[in-house]
Amino acid sequence: MAANKYRSRTQRRVFVKTPGGETRLTYRKRKESKQQCGECGADLKGIPRVKISKLSKTQRRPERPYGGVLCSKCMRKKMVEKVLKLLKGEAQ
Amino acid sequence: MIGRVCMKIAGRDAGKIGVIIDTLENGFVLIDGAVRRRKCNVMHLEFLNEEVKIKKGASHAEVVKALAKFGVVERSGKVKPKTERLKKKRKVKAVKVEKKVKVKEEKKEVKAEKKVVKKKVAKKNA
Repeated sequence: MAANKYRSRTQRRVFVKTPGGETRLTYRKRKESKQQCGECGADLKGIPRVKISKLSKTQRRPERPYGGVLCSKCMRKKMVEKVLKLLKGEAQ
Repeated sequence: MIGRVCMKIAGRDAGKIGVIIDTLENGFVLIDGAVRRRKCNVMHLEFLNEEVKIKKGASHAEVVKALAKFGVVERSGKVKPKTERLKKKRKVKAVKVEKKVKVKEEKKEVKAEKKVVKKKVAKKNA
């Protein structure tokens, strides 16, 4: 039997069949939650649902500005805003 | 289209300024500047109200000159300047070797002495 500290629902419960034919209850770690866009809250794509610190930097996030922070749509909007700001500055 | 200044709004080069060098089929253009020189969808560009005099298929150096006003700096290539590596000097080990040699020599001397003594003993016994 798993140690008492693991016997909580913060762990994922999995029923395992033992070689003896019994079914035993085991406790596993839950999957990491999905990362959300900081602007619109949509689920971010291209970010693996594992403990991220173990991966190399290029595997952690899309390689673009605001990668892993904003979704691509929101990032594009930001870039357009940036252009508009530039244009405004020129008009003045 | 050629010579229009634009900013990339998608992908790795998003937020960087470039110029259209050439127009290709199906709404694609060739761009260069602060962005990497490559084929690009027009939908991924946002145009500034600026134009630069530039030839079709201009080189990167020419593009950088034309875009100096926008603060575009020439990309440095992948080649890194070579730096001289410090060679490790194994002073400590050299001393050790000398010591070892000395020890060996001493041992040899001791052995030689022993042999001499043995020979003498053998002679006496004989």
